[in-house]
Amino acid sequence: MSLLLLTLIVPLATAAIGGVGGPRRLKEAVLVSGLALTFGLCLATASAFLAGGPIEQFEAALRVDGLSALMLVLNGFVGLLSGIYGVGYLRRNEERGLVTARMRREFHGLIPAYVFALLLVSVSNNLGILWIAVELTTLASVFLVAFHNRDTSLEAAWKFLVLGSLGLGFALLGTVLLFAAAQGRLGEGLTALNWTRFMEAAPRLHPFTLRLGVVFALIGYGTKAGLAPMHTWKPDAYREAPSPAGVLMAVGMLNAAVYCVLRVHLISRAAIGPEFSGGLLLALGLLSVLVAVPFIVIQWNLKRLLAYSSIEHVGIMAIGIGIGGEAGAFGALLHMTYHTFAKPVAFFSAGTLAQLHSSSDFETIGAGTLGRAPISSVLLLLATVIITGSPPFGIFFSEIIILRAGFAGSHALATSVFLAALVVLFCGFTYQVGRLVLGPQPAEPRRDVTPETLDLCLGTAIVAAVLAVIAGFYLPGSLLELIRAATQVVGGRV
Amino acid sequence: MSNNLLVLSAAGMLVTAFLMVGQKALFTAIRLYGAQSWLLGVVAVTIALADDRPPLFVTAALTAGLKGLLIPWFLMRVVDRIGIRREIEPFLNVPASLLICLALTVVGYRVSTGFPEGARGVAHHVIGVGLSMLLIGLFLMVTRKKAVTQILALLTVENAVFLIALGITSGMPLVVELGISFDVLLAVLVLGILVHRIVDRFESMDVSRLSQLKG
Repeated sequence: MSLLLLTLIVPLATAAIGGVGGPRRLKEAVLVSGLALTFGLCLATASAFLAGGPIEQFEAALRVDGLSALMLVLNGFVGLLSGIYGVGYLRRNEERGLVTARMRREFHGLIPAYVFALLLVSVSNNLGILWIAVELTTLASVFLVAFHNRDTSLEAAWKFLVLGSLGLGFALLGTVLLFAAAQGRLGEGLTALNWTRFMEAAPRLHPFTLRLGVVFALIGYGTKAGLAPMHTWKPDAYREAPSPAGVLMAVGMLNAAVYCVLRVHLISRAAIGPEFSGGLLLALGLLSVLVAVPFIVIQWNLKRLLAYSSIEHVGIMAIGIGIGGEAGAFGALLHMTYHTFAKPVAFFSAGTLAQLHSSSDFETIGAGTLGRAPISSVLLLLATVIITGSPPFGIFFSEIIILRAGFAGSHALATSVFLAALVVLFCGFTYQVGRLVLGPQPAEPRRDVTPETLDLCLGTAIVAAVLAVIAGFYLPGSLLELIRAATQVVGGRV
Repeated sequence: MSNNLLVLSAAGMLVTAFLMVGQKALFTAIRLYGAQSWLLGVVAVTIALADDRPPLFVTAALTAGLKGLLIPWFLMRVVDRIGIRREIEPFLNVPASLLICLALTVVGYRVSTGFPEGARGVAHHVIGVGLSMLLIGLFLMVTRKKAVTQILALLTVENAVFLIALGITSGMPLVVELGISFDVLLAVLVLGILVHRIVDRFESMDVSRLSQLKG
């Protein structure tokens, strides 16, 4: 059996085993080892690509090129982190008697199923399969959002599903229109929807149909990415989802949706030049960054703060892609990589703080968490420093690369606005976290707060933090090579 | 002959969409959706016969079976079990809604003129109806409060996308269509389960009550 198929089958099998009952220890072992094996297979597939070029399966319905290989590695990594943290998360909730047998089955089944869907998106070359895979990510994650079965989680899950399905309806229409734009030149059968076929036929696509299709597809997949103004599901879903699922949404889903956006953008660029879809992405990206500004500055909830930060970062990636050229593409992909390393630390430490205080609202958590929960507080501060783009960490450099590409291109005005927004966002995010962590300690010790213990969750968070710091300074050579290969796909000459 | 049938069924779909807008009884709205899906099946069969494209028969059978029978049956069961039969007063009253939908239909037809002339002259009508239904579905979604009506609005958008696909390309590759159909079925199941949970918690399926999350 081919390596690529195995990479997809392992998480699926893990989900199937996790979905049935069984002793707790066994289920935990299956989840972690299954996701570890999956990550290993992702790495193996990526290195097979580096050694021997694109890998194809099922008449190229699945195909690993540079971009897909990078996605595999990033999403496999996040999947493993989320699995390990998830085991610890369930244990914590179990001690408080919050977990029923049904919830445990749901959790152990849905997390690997979500990882499977994300990996399927990452290797889809066929636009039809791509759509189906994105729909699967939505279906796998909706019950994770509703996991705690509170009033607010049901509301968040409903918004998430209805908006997500609407977005997918748009994306489907976009796919149909792209297919129609080829006016039968793509042939019949499964291969007709292959992205590689589209790229070959690009110069002869019907312009009006193509433009309409690109708009619908970008809005549709942009909804899943959380680009403004289709971002409204994000803060609710992030607040309600358990942190391990939140990480998969904030990093895995974001990467996967940006992947879809990229594929559509590349078809459009090859057909009618970079201005049309690039301009659209630049506008959506800029709007996302700007929308995040007020909501971060006046935010009242820690996890919603992270959601707006994620809207900001997907906006930054869209701006990088929109500015285009090799530099813009490289900046966007580099940013995605650094973001993938940094975001889990923020989610894990914020999730721990929220669990200890039984709420993620700033008011309930109260200022001065450094005294009550030193480890997670320090980790949250560290994550803040990395994620807001402070030097000397990587995100600073990826942002500089995108800014330089913007000023070098003909986007001076947009880039200036972007730069101003970045500065305000930096201040706003740092202020919010700083106030929470370093604020004055309460006069009397809080009795309603569970004391912090160094458990599996915090252990995972520390490991993730160490990795994020290392990645911030130094990316392994082969990972850099993957980013370059992906840049070739995205920014290569048409 | 086949062209007439094609235009007739496409127009019929548009009529069901309009009736859905003017309708408050949930059972009737679900039946209208079922009828709409059958008409979509007829469109697929007509194109299959006229253009001699056998794979479209499978599409037609799937549409009729899944969207014409299975999904309406499931939704009726949901409505039956939660015991709420009528849509409450929508955010916009019925006459105003119908007028807006009329305007949306004009917009849909206007956009459809931009496409290249297909092999059949009727393709224009099919695409026009599809785009109009898409807009009406979106309109339903933002103006209605009941969870089941919102699901029906989503499904109308789905049908509209398929109608456009049929009009413009004579359908997508079969494998993809199969996958998409089952995904839609799954999505409806998930939505149904979620409606159950919402009703259990809130003793209402009024989604306008889901408004605690802000900022």
